[in-house]
Parts: sequence; structure tokens; C-alpha cells
Amino acid sequence: MAHQKDLSTILFRGTLGCLAVLTVVLLIAPTAVVLIVSFTDGYSLKFPPVSYSTRWYVELWNASHLHFAAMNSIKVGLATTLLSVVFGVLASLAIVGSKSRWARALDSLFMSPLVLPALAFGFAALMTFSAVGWSVSITTLIIGHTAVCVPYVIRTTSAALAQMDPALLESSASLGASRWYSFRFVTLPLIRPGVMAGAFIAFMSSFDNVPVSLFLRDARTDMLPIRMWQDLEGKLDVTIAALSGVIIIFTLIMMIVMERVAGLSRRLRQG
Amino acid sequence: MSATKRLPVTAYPLWLASPLAFAMLLFFLTPLLMLGVVSFYSDTAMTQWGSFANWAKTLDGFGLTVLLDTLWLGVQVTALSLVLGFALAWSFLKMPARLQPLIIFIVMLPLLTSVVVRTFAWIVILGRQGIVNHFLMDLGLIETPIKLLYTRLGLVVTLANVQLPLMVLPLITALQRIDMNLTDASASLGASEWQTFKKITVPLALPGVIAGCLLTFSAAITAFISQSLIGGGQMLFMPMYLYQQVSALSNFPFAAAISLTFLVTVILCVSVFNMLGRLSRGYANG
Amino acid sequence: MTSRRQLLQASLTLGALQLFPGMSHAQAKRLVFATFTGSWEEAHRAVLVPAFKKATNNAEIILDPMLSVDQIAKVTAARNNPPIDVMLHDPGPALTAIDQGLVENYPVATSKNYKDLIAEAQEEMGPAIFFQVVGLTYNPDKIKTPPTSWKDLWKPEYKGRAGITNLNSTLGTGFLVEIAKLFGGSETNIEPGFKALNDLKPNLAAVAANPGALATLFQQGQVDISPGNFNAIQILKARGVPVEFVIPKEGAIAFKTTIHIVKNSPNRELAVALIEAAMSPEVQTRLMQSPYLVVPTNSKVKMEGEISKVLAKDQADMKKRFVFQDWKKINEQRAQWIERFNREIKL
Repeated sequence: MAHQKDLSTILFRGTLGCLAVLTVVLLIAPTAVVLIVSFTDGYSLKFPPVSYSTRWYVELWNASHLHFAAMNSIKVGLATTLLSVVFGVLASLAIVGSKSRWARALDSLFMSPLVLPALAFGFAALMTFSAVGWSVSITTLIIGHTAVCVPYVIRTTSAALAQMDPALLESSASLGASRWYSFRFVTLPLIRPGVMAGAFIAFMSSFDNVPVSLFLRDARTDMLPIRMWQDLEGKLDVTIAALSGVIIIFTLIMMIVMERVAGLSRRLRQG
Repeated sequence: MSATKRLPVTAYPLWLASPLAFAMLLFFLTPLLMLGVVSFYSDTAMTQWGSFANWAKTLDGFGLTVLLDTLWLGVQVTALSLVLGFALAWSFLKMPARLQPLIIFIVMLPLLTSVVVRTFAWIVILGRQGIVNHFLMDLGLIETPIKLLYTRLGLVVTLANVQLPLMVLPLITALQRIDMNLTDASASLGASEWQTFKKITVPLALPGVIAGCLLTFSAAITAFISQSLIGGGQMLFMPMYLYQQVSALSNFPFAAAISLTFLVTVILCVSVFNMLGRLSRGYANG
Repeated sequence: MTSRRQLLQASLTLGALQLFPGMSHAQAKRLVFATFTGSWEEAHRAVLVPAFKKATNNAEIILDPMLSVDQIAKVTAARNNPPIDVMLHDPGPALTAIDQGLVENYPVATSKNYKDLIAEAQEEMGPAIFFQVVGLTYNPDKIKTPPTSWKDLWKPEYKGRAGITNLNSTLGTGFLVEIAKLFGGSETNIEPGFKALNDLKPNLAAVAANPGALATLFQQGQVDISPGNFNAIQILKARGVPVEFVIPKEGAIAFKTTIHIVKNSPNRELAVALIEAAMSPEVQTRLMQSPYLVVPTNSKVKMEGEISKVLAKDQADMKKRFVFQDWKKINEQRAQWIERFNREIKL
């Protein structure tokens, strides 16, 4: 196979290669920058920092309002993930493999929050709750979050179900197992990594959620991303940089864990 | 035989989906319907129904400008993202296999990190005392720091980067599906790399390109935090327009009209993308 | 295996119950105080919150910083179950809050500190706990000759370096009225003000969402000159940011800031405790000192330090040197002005 190494090839490969390198740099830079800036000694976001210290991490340790928001986000995230997994797995089971029109329609319905602007939904939810007299609370937040996070669970669970060899279930049935038994001992173990990956993505999605939290929270149910955004705009200190550093490390660790346990990268590219 | 009526053992009864269906009906569809109903109130206290005033206001000169500007922002961001993303995806496939998981990791991390954190990073990069200005001054290209924050350019670059993983992942999947034999055949027939790229790779990758563009476009136009932190107070887009009406002005009916307009616009754009996607699949296969 | 499943079920249920606390239970415990963004939040967090906790045996309090107008919006939207217990207001929104019956009167009869407030600060529907003073703020490192007049903002040498806030803040609205007056208008004739703002556009580096954001812009070097609050400067200075305050020759704008108990709040006793603390001479003295420099309203507090040097020797002196605006008139048209600003003043 003779490749003509002419000028156009070199230019072509060179350009794409340079762009690719630039892109990788652009992908890594923000994370690296935030981590470095979080160790600045001063009050501004100068880069590179003039001097270094861990004072902002100390500030973070004392910033009870940030802890409060973080706890709220974690609580809502866990509850949302729980609900999403329960509802999502049930829905996935029903839809995958079914050829009926209902299944197609339900699938579109369940996945639609991924496509529609969550901001519009967040506001709509606020208005609806308001209209029926429910005031904003942690319950309304969880409901709102679940609506936009359940698609992630459905997506990975459906992919895992679709990849399961039907022969396994058929042989299990022919050996006399009930449907429930087959589910518990054949299906569930096989789709567990997919469900876990979906649960992880759902949790991160809820933790990071801004559009729904913007409308459905108040001071008592303050959520971390919103608090961070407001502090970034209006406060003069750099504690948010330290908080960002902590979040990045946490995400990194969880990603590595989920990659080992559930093959996360593969599942993110599906669907 | 009743076998046709009975579910195969590999399938599950449809009613398992009913809890979620019911929940979605109650908590997702109903609110969206409420948007429609509420948008027809003429006053913020919501006592007089049946007026088109809010719709007129949403689509008047100012409102239309905000909407179109938001869409245009999406286009700009998607274009930049596509160029960068395609370069990375294409190079990814040519990389040694050891490096590939690392690259996937690098692409995944931003996707899972909080959007506030990512946008905050760009404030540090683009600020007057930030990296870019530092770099340019060190190189002697500029005397005083230039304004990058609160500019259109800064916003487009930031958004393109924040949404980049959404573009790269589908592109990698699409490019991986392209049969290597086709590109090899093209090369052995004497085509230059550029020609192979233009005539074989791009058309075959088109479905992935459309998928990536759809995700990036949708994410860019609804990116409230980035638009607000990097764009600043003088660039108004649909998300902030909506938020202002709800939060500061409590004008729910008008906000409902804006929301619906936004929703419908996004649905239209998604439909266009899906149609393009179907066409491109036909093109790629035919 | 059955017992393990039962255990799992039980712990999940317990866990789930924890996640859905009874609403009234959560509300009654935590006091929500809506203070202003930026330097006010910092000052209150550092001084007022500890004083409150001491007085109430460590009761829980959450600070929810937001603009005056936003507080009105939030309470109006949920009157029967307000998300805020104590509001802080500038003159304009304070009038609205009282008119619309959003606030309760303060129990002045049983108050220790109320009678010590100066006459202007005594208002039963919401006592004033400090005065805000607005003048010109600038970066002395970048701007060598200190500005002397509001009109200096329009100087061509400040191209791309000036900052303002939008009209949602009292700072922004007060500034607009001042420049309207400067160019021949008034509270009822705002046209010259808008024209002047349009003329300012080439100089505008940014329009901040609130005064806190404006201060951040100074800190990051994004703006070098702007209208600003006196006490915001001090916190910036304490952080090593080069910034100075100057009273323009036309006079600094001053307004009193009042604190209110929200009607239907379930935390009335805690709210009263907070306001007592805010009026107390101890808190006001501490807030008057560096770096907060908040102008006090309690007559027992002697004005000293930076405030008496730069602003006024006492409250009477202040009344002579400062401009007070007619907020009743401003309120009538503010919503229209805000809409107009949002449409016109964009790059």
C-alpha cells in the first residue's frame, strides 16, 4: 500500500494533529488551572498565583454555608438516584425487546427530558407546584431532579439489557425457573454494571444540576452549584476555587472506581 | 395457540413501566401543559385569562432578537466544537492503543465535573489577570490586558470547550464504525489523504457528526451558568431572559410564554437535526 | 438471606425517611435572613451572625444574599409560607413591602435598642440599621488623577474601563436618577438619564448583576471606575485591592436601609432577636470599624475612624452633605425603567 507522502498529506495530517493537540490541551487546561489557582495565597484569580498556600482549603473547612449546600445536594442526589434506579430499571425492563408502539412512545416520553431545555421544565415544575399549593421543599426538588435524571439510568440499563444474550434467559426458563427467579439470578447480575454506571451518571447529573435547582430551591434547600455560582459572582474570596478543587478530585476518584467496576467509558458512548 | 399472546420469556410485561409513566405524566407533562395555560394570563397576579399579550411580547422585536441571538450562539459554538472535536476524534483513531483510554478519560472528566467548576476555570483563563492575557503580554504581543471576559468571542470559546465532550464522544463512535477497507481502497486508488477524508470519511461519519452537533447545540443554547458568568450582564439569551422574569420580576405568565417559545424552538431544532441524521444515514449507506 | 434483605429494606426506609423531613419541622428551626450581596453579606456573617447566635443560644441562621427587589418578589410569590423570615430593604422596596402588607411591625415597646436609634431610623414597620453612601470608586493604580464629578465617567480615556450595575439594585437606580438630574432631569423625568447611559456605552466594560458582583469586577481588574458603595471599598482595600472612594462634587447619594420581619414567618422570636442584635450598639460599633465601615444609626455609637474622616462627623453632618432621593416617585416607574434598561443598555 503506497501512500504518497506529498505536501497535501503532510499539511492535512499536520493541521489535524495540531488541532487535536490544542483540543486536548483545552480539555485538560480548565481542570489543571482550577487546581493550581485553588492554592493561591491572594484574593484574586491571577494566574499563575503570586504565592501559594492552603488557606482557601482552610476557609472551605470553615465555610458552613457551603457545607450546608453540599449536604443538601448530596441528599437530593442520593434520593434522586434511588428513585431513578427503581423507576428506570422497571421501565427499561418493560421497554427493551418490546415491539409494540406503546413501548416506542413510552421510550420517547421517558427520554424527552434529555432533549428539552431543563430550564423551561424547572420553571414549569415550580409553577405547577405553586398552583397546587405545594411550597418549594426538598421533596419538590427530588421530584424535579428525578424527572431529568431517570433517562440516564434508562439509557445504560437498556443498553445492557439489549446486549444480554436472550439464550441465557431462554435456557434458564427451560430449566424451570420463574420469571422473577431468572431476573434475580440471571438478568440482574448481568445488567448490574450498566445500572451502576447509569446510577453514577444520574447522581452526578443531579449533583451538578442547575436548571431545575434554580427554580425549585430556596434558602433552606440551597444547592451547591447554585451557591457556587452566586458566590462566584458576588463574593470577593477564592473559597470556590478550593471547593472546585475538592469536587474535581472527588469526580476523578469516582470515575476511576466506576471505570473499574462498571466500564463507565464504554457506556457513556452508548445511546 | 396462545403462544402468540404470551410474552416471550426474554421480555417483560409493559405494565412495569407504568409507575414511571404515571410519574412522568404527573410531574413532567402536566407542568409543560401548565406553561401553555399560564401564558395566556395578562397580568402577573394571574387573574385575567385569555390574552395573547405575553405572546406578542415574546415575539416582538426585542424578544425575537434574544431568541435568534441565542440560536446563533448555538451555531457558533457548534461550529467551533465540530472543528476541534473532529480533529481530536480523527487523531484518536490514529493513536497508539495505549494512549486511547487516557484520551477517553480526558474527554470524560469534564463531562462529569460540575458546569460551574468548568466555567469558573474559564474565568481564570480569560480574565484580565488570567492565563491568556499573561501569555500574550509575556510574548510581547500586547501592552495592556485585553478584554476577553464578557465578550462574544470569550463566550463562544468557553462554551465550545465546556461542551466539547458531547461532540467528541459521538464522533469517535462514528469514526470507529467506518470500515478501514474503504479508506485503504481509496488510498490505493491514488487519492490523497485530504481527498479520502473529504469523500469517504466525512460522509460516512455524518450520522455521528449530526448526533454530536445536536447534543452540543442543545447544550450551548441552554447553558445558563456559562452564559451568565462569561457573557455577563450585557448579553441577554433565552435562559437568562426566562430566569429574570421568574426570579426578579415574578412575571409568571410572561415567563411561561418565553419557556414555551424556547421549548418549541428546541423541539424544532432537534427535529431538523433528526431529519438531517436520517438523510445522512441514507447518504452514507447509498 | 431473608434477614439480610429485611435489614436492607429497613435501613433504606429509615434512610428515605431522613431525606423527607417534615416541612414545618425544618422551617421552624432555621431563621432565613435575606441580606445584601457582597460586602454586606461578609459584614453580617462576620459580626451579626455571631452576635445573634450568642443572644439566642446558638439558634440556626441562614444568610440568603439577594437584592432588595428580589426579596420582594420571593415573598410576594409565597405570602402564606414565606421563604424568608427577615428582609433587608433599601428605601424604594421598603415602601413597597410596607404598602403590600408583606411585613409586620416590630415590637418597639419591648425593644431594648429601638429607642436609641436616631429619629430618622425609627420606623415601626422596619427600623433602619444603617445608611448606605454611594460615590465614585476608582482604581488609583490605573487612574492617576482622582475623579471629581459623576461626569468624569464619560471621559474618553476611560473607554472600556467603567462599570455600572443594572437597575435591579438601588445603587444602579440611584445612580440613574443622579445622572438624570445632572443632565437636566429628575425623578419624574428620567429621559436625560437614559440618554446619558447610552452615551456611556463605549466606556462600559461590564454591567454587573449586583453591587457584590461589581466589587468582584474591581478585584479581578475588569473595571477601574464605577459608582460604588463606601463600605464595599473598605473590604476590597483590606484584601489588598487598590481602590479608593471619592464623593463627587455634586454630592454623594445616601439612603437608609431598613430591616423587617416578614409577615407569616414561623420564626418570629428569632427574627426579633436578630433585629435587636442588629440595632445594638455593640454590633453597630463593630460594623462601623474597619474593614466594614457601615454607617450606624444607633445614637450611642460615636462616628469615628474612616467614616468620620471621609464621610461625615456625625449623622447631622451627614444630612447636610448628602443627597437623598424621592423613592416614592421612583417606585412608581421603576419597573418600566428596569424593562427599558434591560432592552437598551446592551452591547
